[in-house]
Order: sequence, then structure tokens, then C-alpha cells
Amino acid sequence: MNTYLKSSFFVQLVLIFVGIPLLILALSSFPERSWLKETISLLTILAFFLVVGQFFLSRSNGSAVQEVKMSRLISLHKVIGYTAVTILLIHPFLQVFPRFFEAGVSPDEAFITIITTFTSQGVVLGIIAWFLMLTLGIMSFMRNQLPMKYTTWRLVHGILSILFVFSGAWHMIDLGRHANLAMSVFIAVLTAGGVLLQLSAYRPKTEKVGVN
Amino acid sequence: MAINQIKGCIGCGVCIKTCPTDVIRPDEKTNKAFIKYPADCQICHLCRMYCPVDAITITPDKTIPVVVSWG
Amino acid sequence: MTELKRKKEVSRRNFMAIAGSAAGLAAMASMGVFAGDPELKGNIPEIDIDIDTMTREEMETDLLVIGSGIAGLFAAVKGHDAGAKVLMVSKGRLGSSGQTPFAKGIFAYDPDKEKLSLDEFVATVSRSAMGTNNPVFTRQMAEHSLARVKDLKEWGFFDSPLYFNSFSKPLEERNIPVVERVMITHLIKENGKIAGAAGFSFDEAKVYIFKAKSVVLCSGAGGFKPNGFPICDLTHDGTVMAYSIGAKVTGKEWNDGHSGQPTNAAACYDGWHGMFDRKPGLTGVEVHHDLGVEQCYQAYMGGGPLAGGPPGQSGGKQVTGGPVRPAEFAENGRRPSPPPGGKGKEGGGPPPGGGPDSGGAPPPGMMGGSSVCGTSAGMSIHKSEGLVPINDQGASNIPGLYAAGDALGSYMAGAIYTQVGSSLAGSAVQGAIVSEAAAEYCKGMKLPTISKNKIKAIEEEILAPLKREKGYSPAWVTQTLQGIMIPNFVLYIKKESMLKAALAYIEELRDHHLPMLRAADLHELRLAHETANMIVNAEMKLKASLLRKESRCSHYRLDYPDVDSKNWNAWINIYKGNNGEMKFEKQPFSSWPS
Repeated sequence: MNTYLKSSFFVQLVLIFVGIPLLILALSSFPERSWLKETISLLTILAFFLVVGQFFLSRSNGSAVQEVKMSRLISLHKVIGYTAVTILLIHPFLQVFPRFFEAGVSPDEAFITIITTFTSQGVVLGIIAWFLMLTLGIMSFMRNQLPMKYTTWRLVHGILSILFVFSGAWHMIDLGRHANLAMSVFIAVLTAGGVLLQLSAYRPKTEKVGVN
Repeated sequence: MAINQIKGCIGCGVCIKTCPTDVIRPDEKTNKAFIKYPADCQICHLCRMYCPVDAITITPDKTIPVVVSWG
Repeated sequence: MTELKRKKEVSRRNFMAIAGSAAGLAAMASMGVFAGDPELKGNIPEIDIDIDTMTREEMETDLLVIGSGIAGLFAAVKGHDAGAKVLMVSKGRLGSSGQTPFAKGIFAYDPDKEKLSLDEFVATVSRSAMGTNNPVFTRQMAEHSLARVKDLKEWGFFDSPLYFNSFSKPLEERNIPVVERVMITHLIKENGKIAGAAGFSFDEAKVYIFKAKSVVLCSGAGGFKPNGFPICDLTHDGTVMAYSIGAKVTGKEWNDGHSGQPTNAAACYDGWHGMFDRKPGLTGVEVHHDLGVEQCYQAYMGGGPLAGGPPGQSGGKQVTGGPVRPAEFAENGRRPSPPPGGKGKEGGGPPPGGGPDSGGAPPPGMMGGSSVCGTSAGMSIHKSEGLVPINDQGASNIPGLYAAGDALGSYMAGAIYTQVGSSLAGSAVQGAIVSEAAAEYCKGMKLPTISKNKIKAIEEEILAPLKREKGYSPAWVTQTLQGIMIPNFVLYIKKESMLKAALAYIEELRDHHLPMLRAADLHELRLAHETANMIVNAEMKLKASLLRKESRCSHYRLDYPDVDSKNWNAWINIYKGNNGEMKFEKQPFSSWPS
């Protein structure tokens, strides 16, 4: 951990992907909700930001690779990946979980209504993102069992990640109850940055100049 | 002011049907629910209780329109 | 090394830029730059609809059920089971319109469990109601309540605080179509018989014409869109449209005396202290003399709001006089006033219209705080107002037109609230019985034809407020009407001079403003028709109150404070005269219309 703290790269990362979302949340006025609901929201928001942050915790990020050991970077990438992805995988269920404790529609009914509202662009994007994320998670977990060269796997992982983060961010901006303008712009900027960084990694080596 | 905010709406339309006094309508562009006729809210909370994503915030206060001699 | 340093500087600068802009955005968020929430638009005064795009849909059925509360539910189900083709139309959504969604207690008379026999129960209710009840309907409610409760149990009614699913179950099983968010404004009569109904949709520019052999009105009662009671969608629509085609209606002088809270008086949910959150429960025999205007009298004489706790207990001076309560039902301050709700037995509270005292927390307004009278302004005691039944099957004086539940003036409980939980039970029981009779009426009958001219004329009337370029907004007329009718010295503590004064105002609204109601969109079209109905109801209430020169149950006259059994052991029926004037007649208690 010390190594991380000493590295300005990690400090920046934490500030951007945890600090700023928290700052925006703290400064915006949202309706007051129960402690349980606020906790779930906070967890979900941070998990999503950390997942976006994964683009910057990868081989694509030249400056990071130069500053930190690749093995450390990748192990952190894995820890954050498995944690945040787990939270986001159960996010649809967490969404209706508080219904167990209050009067109103039952959690299962609420869940079914949500995932069958196909007229909603946000819901469809969310479902797509969820399955992409599931695929990403399984592919990472089973990497060694997959009949695939590492470089191929990496390419697939990268492309799926881009697709995932694109649909996920759009889903969040469209439906997020905390997605006010500040939050939406911030998530859009980070997502675009992450995707560009990733795409730059796929450009022919000769053109890879001045990217950091 | 009675029904106050809708945040995180997925546009399922349940609240629109549920509201006994027709306060909520879909936004033409986004299809999400918005509070179109807040003056008619009777603060019964049915919309909130039926909402699958708990998107609706309601406060107990209500402002009554000013009294004018015509309208 | 230098290169690395440079890179680090760049990345730091990048970071600063990102952080800076994000902080800026956050600051904007906190300063309310995002106040442009689309949810906060006010009512739009400009015309929001193209009248020329209006379409018309005609539908046909044997039995048309108007209303989707518990009476409508049973009317649809039992009418279907009795062999009729049924269609339900509702201003709202199944199980979430009218008073049904807020009724949390249902009475079931179980002869095996109750000590009181059915005869004794009916006799007790009659004593509490001071003769104002129709014992035939009181008995009918008790007799059939257990069977209806069993139906409800099977459909899952008692499993959720929300009723949509349990109400949908039997309708889906029977494929009974439900047309939601359509307000019926007209009943159609051809050749002296009912022929259908007409109305309009809130969601699309469409007029609906329903051709039907029989119509069962399950449209509830109504009020003056009062603050603090969840009846702002109920404006006596059924009563007024039936009255318009010649049906007799009754019960307008009585008042439901629910109390509310002085702080945030409009907040129904908060004022009922969590009762809306509860799953429904059962109540047993518990006859009271509830929801009259005693509390309004206290407030009128002593000023409001009323202190909490039983009268006299809070150190306040107990005002003497006021409405007479039968000695048998004097509650010695134990139950100072029936509140909206309060906790009931077995987790199931009472319905709107009955606060039982069995255990549990004190009811709203009694929690050491204070309360105000008259939250349900404009509504009579449940089932005392509505269409005059000509028999125990809810038939009206117009062949083919039936009513059930709060739309039927059955006097099931009388002019005072007697049995806790009987409102919901009575609506269920009546819905079932009435629609079976209506289904029987449909047998062997041809679908009535409605002339094109009539349809055209009705369509004109429905859309008239949309077509007016100038006029009065329904919201303003409603506000004015509330100011005239809701004060306690007009509506609850009555005297001739004030009733006449208020009537002068209401006649002005009737003659000058009602014909000039203007609507900018379909929502306002609904409000316009609701406002018109409230004006008619206000006139009925004032005139019936002037007529009944006595005090009894929930009708209290300062100038005639005593019960007058010699002249007034009678109900007041209201009907439309040949020249459109409002006419009145007496119908002796416990008799059927001649």
C-alpha cells in the first residue's frame, strides 16, 4: 500500500475516481433517503467510477506503466475489477432490496417491472451492460481455461470493456438518480478518456507517439 | 410542495396510471414521468408506493394558489 | 529522468484541469444551476390540444361497470359469473382510484364467532343510526361479508398494502376488459331505458361511447376536493350524471366528520400516520356512533384546533350542547372523535370512515397533538348518499341503471358511521349482488341503439370546455367553491341564513361560471367536468340541508338542534324536474320509493 501512496499516480487516481464523485454528491442537493438506500447508491456509484478507472490501471496507460511496476498495476486492476464488478452485478437486485423493508410493491414485482420495461433506452442499455460485464468477469476469471492466446484475450477484453463502459455510462447518465449535469459531464469525460486511451493502444506502434 | 421530485425514472408508466388525480404525465421526448400538475396532488403517496425504482419524492407541505377575483 | 519528470508534470497539469472543471461542475450543482428540473412545470394555460384531431371510439357490452374500486371489482366479477359480457371503465387505475386504496379494514360477520346474532346486529345499528339506516341493506352487508372476504383472501387481497395485483387476478382470469383513465361524463338513456355511457380519455384526444344493456355505477361518492382526505378524484360524477338523466339521488344533507391535522393539513399520507402502508385486516362486530359533526361543533363553539385527548382531559373547557348522541353509544370520552384511521385489530386498521379503539396507538389528531374537523368536506357518511335504490338489488328508477357501494344511497350504515370496516365490506357485497341483478336484467335483451344525433350532442357537451376561447379555469372555480362550501359554519354547523347565503353564491357559479368553464388540455377537461359536478353537488347539499329542519346523526342545524321524529323520520330524495329545476321529496325511513 505504501508504494501506492507514494506514487502520485495512485493519489491522482483516487482523487479523480473517488474524491470528485464524492465531492459532486456532497455539493448537490438530492432528496433525502434512508441510510440503507444512500449506502447502496454510494457503493454503486463508486463501483462504477472504479470500473471506469480500470482503463487507467492497465497496460494502455503509458505513464502509469512507467511509474509503477506492471505486476502491481495488474494485481490492483484485478482486485478492483472483481470487487467493483461484483457490486455492479448485484446492482439490479440492490436497487429493489430496500423494498423488503417498506410498504409498496414487492421487491420481485419491482424487479420484474424494471427489467421488462424495454421501452426505456436506459433499461436496455443497463441490461446490455450487465451481460457485457458478466462476460468480462467470467472471461477474466477463466482466462487460463479459455482456448485463446493471451494477446487475443487481451484484445477481446479491451473491446468488451469499451462496449461495456459505453453502455454502462449511458445507462448511468440516463437513469441515475444522482446523475445531475455535473455528475453526467464528469462520467462522460472520464469514460471518453478511458476509451480513447484504450483505442490508442490498438493503433499501430509507429503512430503511438505522445500518448501518456 | 406535495409531490416534489422524480429522479431515476425508467419510464414504466405505472405512476402515471396509479395517480388518482392525474398529476404525472410522460415527457414527450424521454417518455419519463414528470410532475405536470402538482397543484392537484393529494399527497396520498400511491405513486411512490407503486414506483418500482423508488424514484418519487413527496413532501407533506402544499402551497395553495393565491386567491384572485377571476381566473 | 527529465523526460519522466516532464511527463509527470503534464499528467499533474492534466489532473488539475480535470479536477478543476469537475469542482466547477460540482459548485454549479450546489448553486442550483440545475434547477431546470422538467418535473417542476406548472399548469400550462395555453391550449395544449388540437380539438380537430379528436377521434371517437365506440364499444359494446352487456354490462358496463363504471369505477374500479372494490364495488366495481365485485360488480365486474360477479356480473361476468352471472353470464353477462362485462366491461369495466375507470377514471383511474384498477384498485388505485377512489377510496378503496386507502381502506385498510374490512368487516366480516362470522356467525360462528360473533356473540351478537344477525338480528341483534341490525337492531343495534338501527339504534345507533337513530332510524336513518335501511335495515335491509345493513343485514345484507353483514350476511354476505364473510363470503366476499373469502373471495378477497383467495385473490391475495390481504397480502399487500397495494390492491392492483389482487384486483387484477380475478379480472384477468375472466378476461374482463378494463378501460383505464377514461372519465365517464354522461349516462345515455334511450326510450326511457339505459343505453350506455360516454366519456373521454386523459391520454389521447378520444371520446368514448359505450353501448350497454345495463350500467352499474360503482363510481363512489365524492367531496369538494378537500385537503387531508384522499378523495380529490371523487366529485360525485356518478350521482350527477344519473341525476341528469332523471335518476333520484339521496343523502346530501349528511356529513362525514373525519378530522385531520392542523399542520400540513393537505398531507393525507402523513395525516393517517402510516395507515396507508398497512396491509388490510379484518374487523368484527363493533357498533359505534361515529364520524358525526360533534367535533366540528366543539371547534365552532370553542375555536380550533382541538386539543388532543378525550374531551375535558386536556384541561380545555368542554362545550355543552351540540349534536345528540344516543345514550347507548355514549362513549364517556373514551373515544373522543373518530379519526381517519387509527390502529385496528390484527394489524388491519379501519377503512376511511372508522377508527376503532381496540388497542394500538391513538389515532391521528389524538396523539397528544391537536386536530381539526372537516377534512372530508363535501362527502356524506359512506353509503348514505347516492342513487335511490328501488329495491334491495340496487336498481334505480331508470330501467337498466344500477349502483353499488358509495355510489348507491343504500343507507346501509345510516346517516352516521356505525360498524367499523363495513364501508369496504358493504361495497364488496353490494357490487356482487347488484351486478347479478343487472346481469339478469340483460338476459334476452337486445343491445340498445343510440341515435347519431344524441352521440353528436353528447360529444359536443363533453368537449365544450375545450372549445371555449375564453372562460374560467376549473381550478379557480373549484377554489372559489371550496371557499364558499368548506367553512364549518356553512357545511357542518348549519343555520338557515348561512345556508341561503352560500346557496346564492353556488347559484351564481351554477348559472354563470359552470357554462363558462374552460379547459386548455385533457387534464383540465377532466377538472372542468369535475368542477361542474361539484357545483351541482353543492347545490344539492345546501338545499337538502335547508329542507331538513331538525338535527340527527351527522346533520346538525343550530336553529333546529333537536331530533324531529314527527316530521323527519324520512330520507330526502332529489330529482330533476321537467324544467331542469332541482326537486325534492320525502321518503319515509324503511320504505321503498313509491
